[in-house]
Amino acid sequence: MTERVRIRVDDVEYEVDAGRTVLQALDDCGALFPERDGKRPEQTDALIPHYCWHPKLSIDGSCRLCQVEVRAGADAPPKLAIACNTPVSEGLVVDTKSETVAAARQGVMELLLINHPLDCPICDQAGECKLQDYAYTHGVDHARTREPRRKAKKRVDLGPTIVFDQERCILCRRCVRFCREVTGTGELGVFDRGDRSVLETFPDEPLDNAYSMNVADICPVGALTTKDFRFKMRVWFLEDVDGICTGCSRGCNVHIGVAKNAVQRYLPRRNDAVNGTWMCDDGRLSYHEIAREDRLTTCLVREQAIGEDSPQLRPASLDEAVAAVAARLRPLLDAKGPGVIAGIASAHASNEDLRAFKTFLDVLDVDTIGLAVARGDSDDLLVEAEKGANGAGARAVGFGALAPVADRIRGGGIEALIVLGHDLFADGSLDARALAGLDTVVAFDTHRSPVERVAHVVFPVRHAAEKDASYTNSAGIVQPVQRAVVPGPEVRDEGDFLQRIGAALGLAGFETETETEAESKAGDGAE
Amino acid sequence: MQKVPFTTGYLTAHCGDDAYGTLDGYKAEGGYETARRVLKKGTPEDLIETLKASGLQGRGGASFIAGQKWSFMPGAEDDTGPRYLVCNADESEPGSFKDRLLLERAPHLLLEGILLAAFAIRAEKTFLYVRGEYGEAIRVLTRAIEEARAGKVLGPRALGSRFAHDVVLVRGAGAYICGEETGLLESLEGKKGQPRKKPPYPAENGVFGRPTTVNNVETLCHVPHIVEKGADWFRGIGTAESPGNTLFGVSGHVVRPGLYELPLGTPLDEIVFEHAGGVAGGRKLKAVIPGGLSMAVLPAGQVDVPMANEFLRERQTALGTGGIIVMDDTTCMVRVACIITHFFREESCGQCTQCREGTGWMNRIVSRIERGEGRFEDLALLKDVCAKMEGKTICAFADAAAWPVQGLLRHFPQDFQSHVTHGQCPYPGSFVLA
Ligand SMILES: Cc1cc2nc3c(=O)[nH]c(=O)nc-3n(C[C@H](O)[C@H](O)[C@H](O)COP(=O)(O)O)c2cc1C
Ligand code: SF4
Ligand code: SF4
Ligand code: SF4
Ligand code: FES
Repeated sequence: MTERVRIRVDDVEYEVDAGRTVLQALDDCGALFPERDGKRPEQTDALIPHYCWHPKLSIDGSCRLCQVEVRAGADAPPKLAIACNTPVSEGLVVDTKSETVAAARQGVMELLLINHPLDCPICDQAGECKLQDYAYTHGVDHARTREPRRKAKKRVDLGPTIVFDQERCILCRRCVRFCREVTGTGELGVFDRGDRSVLETFPDEPLDNAYSMNVADICPVGALTTKDFRFKMRVWFLEDVDGICTGCSRGCNVHIGVAKNAVQRYLPRRNDAVNGTWMCDDGRLSYHEIAREDRLTTCLVREQAIGEDSPQLRPASLDEAVAAVAARLRPLLDAKGPGVIAGIASAHASNEDLRAFKTFLDVLDVDTIGLAVARGDSDDLLVEAEKGANGAGARAVGFGALAPVADRIRGGGIEALIVLGHDLFADGSLDARALAGLDTVVAFDTHRSPVERVAHVVFPVRHAAEKDASYTNSAGIVQPVQRAVVPGPEVRDEGDFLQRIGAALGLAGFETETETEAESKAGDGAE
Repeated sequence: MQKVPFTTGYLTAHCGDDAYGTLDGYKAEGGYETARRVLKKGTPEDLIETLKASGLQGRGGASFIAGQKWSFMPGAEDDTGPRYLVCNADESEPGSFKDRLLLERAPHLLLEGILLAAFAIRAEKTFLYVRGEYGEAIRVLTRAIEEARAGKVLGPRALGSRFAHDVVLVRGAGAYICGEETGLLESLEGKKGQPRKKPPYPAENGVFGRPTTVNNVETLCHVPHIVEKGADWFRGIGTAESPGNTLFGVSGHVVRPGLYELPLGTPLDEIVFEHAGGVAGGRKLKAVIPGGLSMAVLPAGQVDVPMANEFLRERQTALGTGGIIVMDDTTCMVRVACIITHFFREESCGQCTQCREGTGWMNRIVSRIERGEGRFEDLALLKDVCAKMEGKTICAFADAAAWPVQGLLRHFPQDFQSHVTHGQCPYPGSFVLA
């Protein structure tokens, strides 16, 4: 076990791991952002203000903002030192509020601002800018420079995702260290020296890696902004909701930035057990799928109208869709029993919906069940091969491999299929042809997908950002999410639809009015 | 030919002699005998004790006790890998040119010092980092190292002992900051010359991540003499706190600019007026920078001070590198401030906020004053910027940039004020600095 030492910061004593620095130790015990309370670090004042230090990057020690007075013991003389690089030791006393400390911070703030363009009114970082915040809390209130401010490049296109403003850069080198230490791609460097120092990409090497947008998060100022979110919205109009990215089974924690009942951005939310402080660019941009045009907004039922060659999927009311399912499944059950029915779960469904699905199948006595999940590229950092947030949750509920189900379908033993999500064809064991002969296919999905082509009834379900639910990531960590946006009135949880279908089939224990529904109605009214 | 230097002592007695620069010539003066004896029969512990007892202060500018620095290195029990000695021959402090003489005229004295220091800290290799502009020194040292290898002074059995050692010469590329010891280490590793934060200190994690000691050229050149003649002999020279001779480099408005080997504690006025022949052209003394550009200036009335830190400290300045810059009464102290701040602005590595921004701001303010666009508040503003820089950065560069400006403001406020009052520089001649 690591040795522990006691340090005192202002009037509070902390027991911390030896071998850490003051900032690290305070961060370890959650004391660095005392009023964090669900808020992003960008929104709260740190106990010890800092720029270049970042919990997941090497110590730089250059911005000098984190200076504090340290004493080796209560009686030792105080010494000004940077908290990010001062090792803790038994009895260390740290003073973050003395006049010397305040003066040192003020010095750093004044010097950082003498060449700053002060273009906050047109800067996208305004409102979550640490230079702004600390200028208020630790800086001086007027400029003493008479000389013109340094001119530098504006609106530099660094690569596919990021725009750079050289005048706003405070040269903390967080972005440089990120590209060297985290992605190992090293596109960024500080060139020249002294007050000519500038951040640049290396010649002919754009900032282009799978995690590039994280540099905008860790940039304390408005120097690095993402093309995706830039100028979209003033950040003080955003509400932050805790969510997860559903791009892969890592389940990176995100702050969902919401305004006007729409997701405006994802930012990584720190969770040291899952994603640290990062997320991949694909995942970050995946919020766009929530409001994409191909979202399903109503139930669909396949019917053949007079004059048509073949039956077509067309919008139907909830009751019509539920009735259509019951009308197809009841006779089948009565004639052939549950053995001809199969259920396929999805890694996109929440634990709650997966449990509801399992219960539904159990009550029906269906035992041909499996999980369809898409696989893709993975890397050593975060991205997992399983493309869905809840494969582990589905397996825990009892949905196993797809292969036996696929075999039975292809072997002709199945006549009805109830399927969640759109990954049915992902592993290639099934395709539309294999399903063409089925009597009934009932699908639950967020988006239009090829599954539609074989479906007889389709139910529009909610995205993870639209519900209070939980997902289990690849490490088995159960992660709760909160509803960030409210979908259209006909979009519901899988569990909710299944409840109604169960009732229509007359299954034991299924009621018409569900709890979730009552809740969501109440919620809708409040929003 | 004039004597090199003007006054000599144990360090430089033979520097006028061309043969002294060769292996045979050095040996003819008894060279390498001390190292041979110590490497064969001595122990690192005894050597460190001797150095500690001698009280030798580093001559690179910070005056850190050399024996103490060596004792920070891990002892014999640490066998995790190599450790290194680095000889700092980057000499780029304006006003300093003492190491150059030793490098060009006493290369084997330096190599013997290196061998002894390396033995004390159990280093298997020395990196000799030489200022890139020192072409002659590089040529001389390259030859001396080759001679020493051929003559088995260096190598797997250095001087016939069981101690293995080699010296690798590395050429700098003209950055002042690469003289700062950790900036030097970064440069040695092929990186941008930017000082490292401490901890870790070089003795724990130095060049290539290994325990390293950095010593100045002159520091190492004292070592063979101390080991040969003993700590008591050394303590008999100089002052109680600052023993030994040192090389003072005198430049500026004096009759005889050049190097002077003299005991520490020699009064500054004696150096300027007696040894260097006083102010040139019969003019009056205005000010002296006692220890290289980074040290605070002394006005003419305060040059009656022994050149040792314990005395200079009382006058709010320090010995630094012993580079004495003399200025006569035609010198505009605002122009001096322009030159000094320009230098530090150019040379800051730019990592630390206060140094990166402060050096530029100071330079802009003093340039404005020189142009006649200053305000009286600018004096207080300059002092305040200095206070914001001093003692708050990764390396001592920011202090080195603040101290000279503080000194000029302390002793010559009238020069600054008259610029403001007259709206122009009251001194004759034009002054342009990019
Ligand atoms: C900005 C700066 C420049 C320096 N330049 C030199 C130099 O050129 N040569 C040198 O020996 N020491 C220089 N030093 C001092 C070194 O950091 C270091 O203290 C010295 O090399 C140690 O040697 P010593 O203990 O033998 O004096 C410089 C220090 C600073 C802060
Ligand atoms: S761009 Fe941002 S993160 Fe990068 S060095 Fe500049 S201020 Fe720091
Ligand atoms: S690694 Fe996976 S969970 Fe994390 S952001 Fe990327 S896609 Fe989303
Ligand atoms: S004090 Fe100046 S020179 Fe030294 S590390 Fe900081 S910025 Fe670089
Ligand atoms: S946070 Fe410590 S120096 Fe920047």
